[in-house]
Amino acid sequence: MASHYEAPIRKPLVLGDKGYHDVSVDIAGPVERRANKQWWIVFSIALAAFLWGVGCIVYTISTGIGTWGLNKTVGWAWDITNFVWWVGIGHAGTLISAVLLLFRQKWRMAINRSAEAMTIFSVIQAGLFPVIHMGRPWLGYWVLPIPNQFGSLWVNFNSPLLWDVFAISTYLSVSLVFWWTGLLPDFAMIRDRAVKPFQKKIYSLVSFGWTGRAKDWQRFEEVSLVLAGLATPLVLSVHTIVSFDFATSVIPGWHTTIFPPYFVAGAVFSGFAMVQTLLIIMRKVCNLEDYITVQHIELMNIIIMVTGSIVGCAYITELFIAWYSGVEYEQYAFLNRATGPYWWSYLLMMSCNVVSPQIMWFKKIRTSIVVSFIISIVVNVGMWFERFVIIVTSLHRDYLPSSWTMFSPTFVDIGIFIGTLGFFFTLFLLYARTFPVIAQAEVKSILKSSGERFKKLRDAGQPLYKISKNATAASTAVVEEKTEAVETGNEQVSSLLDTLGAFDATKETADDLKKVKGIGPQMEQTLNQIGIFTFAQVGRMTEKEYDLLDEITGSFPGRAQRDDWAGQANRLNNKN
Amino acid sequence: MASNKKYWKSEAELHPNDSIVEALRQNEFPEEIPVDDFLGDKEGLSATATNRRDFLKYIGFSTAAASLAACEGPVRKSIPYVVKPENIIPGIANYYATTIANGFDFANVLVKTREGRPIKIENNTDAKLGGGANARVQASVLSLYDSTRIQGPLASGEPVYWSDLDKAAKDKLAALKNSGKQIALLTQTYASPSTDRLISEFTAAFGNVNHVTYDAISEDAALNAFEARYGKRALPNYNFDKADVIVSFGADFLADWQGGGFDSGYSKGRVPKNGKMSRHYQFEANMSLTGANADKRVPLAPSNQKLALAKLYSKLNGTSVGGDLDEAAERAIDNIVTEIAKNKSAALVVTGLEDENAQAVALAINEMLSSRAMDVSSPRYVRQGNINALNQLITDMKSGSIGALIMDGVNPMYSLPNAEDFLEGIEKVDLSITFSTNWNETTAVSNYTAASNHYLESWGDAQLFEGHFSLTQPTIKELFDTRQFQTCLLNWMGNEKSYYEYVKETWTTSVLGDANWDKALHDGVFSAADMIVSGTSDPVDAIQNTVDKEPALTNGEAEEKDILPIANAVQSLAASSMEGMELTLYSKVGMGDGQQASNPWLQEFPDPISRVCWDNYVTVSKSDAQMLDFVNEHVANGGMDGSYANITVNGVSLDNVPVVIQPGQAEGTLGLSLGYGKEVGLKEEMKVGVNAFKLYQGFSNIQTATIEKATGMHEFASVQLHKTLMGRGDIIKETTLEVFNTKDHSEWNHQPQVSLNHQEVPATTVDLWDSFDRSIGHHFNMSIDLNACTGCGACVIACHAENNVPVVGKAEVRMSRDMHWLRIDRYYSSEDTFEEDNSKKDEFSGAFESKSGFEEMEDPAANPQVAFQPVMCQHCNHAPCETVCPVAATSHSRQGQNHMAYNRCVGTRYCANNCPYKVRRFNWFLYNNNDEFDYNMNNDLGKMVINPDVNVRSRGVMEKCSMCIQMTQKTILDAKREGRIIKDGEFQTACSNACSNGAIVFGDVNDAESEVAELVESDRMYHLLESVGTKPNVFYHVKVRNTNEA
Repeated sequence: MASHYEAPIRKPLVLGDKGYHDVSVDIAGPVERRANKQWWIVFSIALAAFLWGVGCIVYTISTGIGTWGLNKTVGWAWDITNFVWWVGIGHAGTLISAVLLLFRQKWRMAINRSAEAMTIFSVIQAGLFPVIHMGRPWLGYWVLPIPNQFGSLWVNFNSPLLWDVFAISTYLSVSLVFWWTGLLPDFAMIRDRAVKPFQKKIYSLVSFGWTGRAKDWQRFEEVSLVLAGLATPLVLSVHTIVSFDFATSVIPGWHTTIFPPYFVAGAVFSGFAMVQTLLIIMRKVCNLEDYITVQHIELMNIIIMVTGSIVGCAYITELFIAWYSGVEYEQYAFLNRATGPYWWSYLLMMSCNVVSPQIMWFKKIRTSIVVSFIISIVVNVGMWFERFVIIVTSLHRDYLPSSWTMFSPTFVDIGIFIGTLGFFFTLFLLYARTFPVIAQAEVKSILKSSGERFKKLRDAGQPLYKISKNATAASTAVVEEKTEAVETGNEQVSSLLDTLGAFDATKETADDLKKVKGIGPQMEQTLNQIGIFTFAQVGRMTEKEYDLLDEITGSFPGRAQRDDWAGQANRLNNKN
Repeated sequence: MASNKKYWKSEAELHPNDSIVEALRQNEFPEEIPVDDFLGDKEGLSATATNRRDFLKYIGFSTAAASLAACEGPVRKSIPYVVKPENIIPGIANYYATTIANGFDFANVLVKTREGRPIKIENNTDAKLGGGANARVQASVLSLYDSTRIQGPLASGEPVYWSDLDKAAKDKLAALKNSGKQIALLTQTYASPSTDRLISEFTAAFGNVNHVTYDAISEDAALNAFEARYGKRALPNYNFDKADVIVSFGADFLADWQGGGFDSGYSKGRVPKNGKMSRHYQFEANMSLTGANADKRVPLAPSNQKLALAKLYSKLNGTSVGGDLDEAAERAIDNIVTEIAKNKSAALVVTGLEDENAQAVALAINEMLSSRAMDVSSPRYVRQGNINALNQLITDMKSGSIGALIMDGVNPMYSLPNAEDFLEGIEKVDLSITFSTNWNETTAVSNYTAASNHYLESWGDAQLFEGHFSLTQPTIKELFDTRQFQTCLLNWMGNEKSYYEYVKETWTTSVLGDANWDKALHDGVFSAADMIVSGTSDPVDAIQNTVDKEPALTNGEAEEKDILPIANAVQSLAASSMEGMELTLYSKVGMGDGQQASNPWLQEFPDPISRVCWDNYVTVSKSDAQMLDFVNEHVANGGMDGSYANITVNGVSLDNVPVVIQPGQAEGTLGLSLGYGKEVGLKEEMKVGVNAFKLYQGFSNIQTATIEKATGMHEFASVQLHKTLMGRGDIIKETTLEVFNTKDHSEWNHQPQVSLNHQEVPATTVDLWDSFDRSIGHHFNMSIDLNACTGCGACVIACHAENNVPVVGKAEVRMSRDMHWLRIDRYYSSEDTFEEDNSKKDEFSGAFESKSGFEEMEDPAANPQVAFQPVMCQHCNHAPCETVCPVAATSHSRQGQNHMAYNRCVGTRYCANNCPYKVRRFNWFLYNNNDEFDYNMNNDLGKMVINPDVNVRSRGVMEKCSMCIQMTQKTILDAKREGRIIKDGEFQTACSNACSNGAIVFGDVNDAESEVAELVESDRMYHLLESVGTKPNVFYHVKVRNTNEA
């Protein structure tokens, strides 16, 4: 859909001299390569943190919520802080994949896959807390409106906690479907490239039999649009509903009508910061600098700055309304928030969320990868403290001074939070090793219009495709590197025959290559021209040879590999 | 499958011809079985009665028995009554009237029993006695089920039979009879006619018997003063409701002063009626419960209290004494004199100074004013301890002239300041027997420990004040192999009667007259009002008569003899001075003299003033704390820490006493409570606090002490960490009597206003929801009168007992996780009065002034006003908790109660967060059957106190006040079964039942005739946090202070 002309003034979204095949290779790379040492180190740390968290959760469930630092006045603290924080982080994924899709922001294509993965993984973390924070989590299913035969009574639809149950589960399921739909062509790509049968089997299962027919693509586009339409209101609704947990209560500092928009902005804010954190690492580790470019980072920084400013406005509005309300409890709640015993958390929140993103007004800073990385982490720290401030400082001094007290976390509180961080990174690291981390099918769709190579070709007035059957090397600098590979047919033929072995008509007889599925009479003729006559020769073909063959024939690229000619040929050869 | 492998059993098998191997291979039994030995003897065999059948029977039986024994699973005994006892119907409670008289607490009570188990103490409303059951009496039922009780008699700590103990006692008593050595009885105050008779008979039987009465916390000075004046060793009785002006010099009469029980009368006079209420002046050093309730409280060191008392006396009779008091005290005394002059007989002066002069002067003043509130004609017998006799006894013991020492109800090794002397003495006594329910410091040094009954297992009687008799009856059979003191005395005297028969005999012969014993036992009390008239020869009455006749007391020879000693007393009071810090020792509302130190309910009972539980501590004033570098600070989780101090009195020092900086503490004074710091016979958790009896020298509650800082910080468990009200005048509304009498209620009971369509309207009229029709059926409301509530906390323990509220221990309370369903908030004013707090807050302008202003307001004043507010679930008709519960575990009833379905609760705690009153309590852990919480719910004995009508909650669920729905439902069902209409007053909750002050009134507002329906219409009525719109079913009455400084 997207290969139409794009203004030259727009910066290319895919850098480097990338053709379609390069995209496949680059993106399948992390999946096909072995994991390096750093991955194992980081993965071990994440896994250890995860297991520590599991230990803390088991301790909590077996002993009681008393293992946390909560008390009669502060009934929620780190549990719900973490819950809201993780839900908020999840927002960026849907915003990028759905809202930006509807707004036709093509730059999202490089980051949407990982952003959505992050959404799903963080919603999983978030979903953990409402369950484990219950005094009797084994009865957690009672919050579901299930028929009485299950031993449960009907639920209370007045309760915002119940709305949460629906909001979060809807969000998780829509996000998951949306994510997986986008993954289908990419999984199919990996499936087609997979050599080992086991991997091939797995990827063919998860790609749901994607064949790449035009009908597939048409349905794919339709489903994507429908899901984007469904997911867009969710971006607004989920955090709105989460904010209702507080906004519908009677506690000063919670009972605030500005919460829904303020929470949504905060969620997008923290979500983009988390995407930023993850992608800055990933582009480096997975060598994806050509796809996730400084431009992407800059655009995300702008969103962070804008949403940060919205959040800042909300903070100020809250203070104003507290004063304007004339309610002494309300006024004290906000005075206490800013200057009471937890003043330091308010200060952290204000400086991290409102002040720090403001430096993004300078282009130099918002295009600096190091600064962006630091700010992205600072923002997430600040957003964690925002939730802590809202929850704990509102509760710890509410109406009756006789109940005022303080909260301090125990090692279990901290352990569970660290555990969710570990769980999140464990999932993300596994994802980075097994999933196509960039939506390559989509990237390919904009390659011609927004890829640097094609833009330059277009600028230079060159044709975008050159299928050269005879050996004139392209003279442009753009294809300089390629020239070596795009050698004359003769050189390729000889190198191909080097590995496959030449056919000696005096000693051998030619096989009927048409028996191999995928080789028709035309192809057989071509192969014969090259000098390939036997199953044995075909059976020796590997990836390199397939590529060479593709280059020589120029038709049906990838067909040979997809149909596994070598495997078929070997079987046929054995039969003989 | 056959195998060709051959396994050899020993090396010997390798030698094919080994004889042993061969022999073993051939013979199944390597040795000859001596069959003939038992079968060969044919005669013997035929002679035995055991035949084959018997053998099989035996085999069969033993097999069955062995397998049965092996199969035995956990057995839960649920034994039905074979013969059902009369009156015990499962599920129906029985009530018995009885009397607690443990030497410190004296009260007429009703005991609620279920299936034969006493489970709760309630007030005996038939008793005409002033006070009701205080917190300790309410909790005493749990001491019955104390798992650390002694379960049988002991000799040197080893279990013996009663017969052994009896023999030892009888032999010794017989040997001592008419010998040179004394038999000494060292006992608590009984105030019991039967015990008095028994002891006199015992004395007659053995001769040479010395009975010494000992009160751990002495009222000796007051007893001496009364004895000197009226010739009888007793204490005057006071009717505080008859007093319009109450002046107290260090008398904590709302707590345990002179035996306590004055609070109901006091409260009666405190509720404004016809524009009048009593005015209460308090001069004291420690901030006491009484001082906290006073209209005018003057912090004064004890020496200055004496001076003030002297001044008051002299001003009243027109003389003058020297000495200087500070301006505030002088002004207060002048005010008092002016007010007393208005109506002399309506004034009452009391003092708690352990000083004979002070006590004498107080008596003299009341007499001079002919105070109608003081009643010397029917004096109280609840304290009879005699220090001189005790000191003489110890001297005698040390000299070896005591042959046998029998103790009951006392623990001198713990509570004597000179315990070493006692120890030296008891080692020289030939035979020492201690009656005690628990192993303690004294039983540890006695030859024999006689395991004693709890009062709920005992017979007895008491005469709390002249003419007021009451009976103690057992409500359960002895749980263990125990006997009460009186039974043993009877036994040792050779009297065959049981103590029950003895008590009955005493009563029928000398108490009851024509009255019916069964009726007296049923009522628990018997008033012999007619009897004392005949006793006009009584010296007390004689003097009272003269007093009555000559109220002015200005002339007459009768006083001539009187005035001189009083004048001397006044002079010596005026001359009293002290150097150094003045330490006032007091007893806490929760712990008293420390008898019930192993009672977890009382340990976890927060002190009404400091709100600290599981501890005692020295209280110091803020300025002294600054000088001495003492601090109280809060750690990250809110828990309070305090410095340690070393206190020295006359060379005796008490180390590492935790310090609490107490607002209202007079400068230069210290306060320390007795009754803590027990070590022997207690579970580890209960060994809290320091033993202040060591400093109780000369049995005086006033000591000169030196104090210094010690290293380290103490961890307190306090249920309330914030001390002030922060100017939030709508939480505790208050006004002065003058304003109350003259202004419209809208001025002093202001309704919050909200803007509706740009019009200011009362907040209560604006509503999001349509209300239900609540006019049909019952609709429960609870009224709490802040004027009548003294903050005594009896309701807190009553609620604990009724509702199976768990005890969570010091560490959990420190984490702000106390489980009390009903708490009594205590607030201090930050300025001199709450009124000034409110106006200070209203005048804040700008954020910065607010910030610094509110920070100042967190700090209570040096001598603050104090307010108490009982808070339980407010049962809001628009309950914020109900809407937020995802599983509808908390919902509203038609009758106004906010239900909590524990079984449905999944424990999200959202309801607690959304509760503006913070009354919901979460089960953070499993509090029963959990070794981490080794209190009464962790053992079979302690669980016997559990109310079967109320759940024991599991962990992870929310709980809270149910407005005792089990009690209201029972009332409804009883009336329904009996086919009658419910009378007003039948609906009760545990707290309203326990409140003898009338502060808590519960009832059905749909019953137009009910008291609560009348109270809800009162001008003083307001709801807590009305502006939130929760529409609670609990309401409060504006506190009216009778101050002249408006």
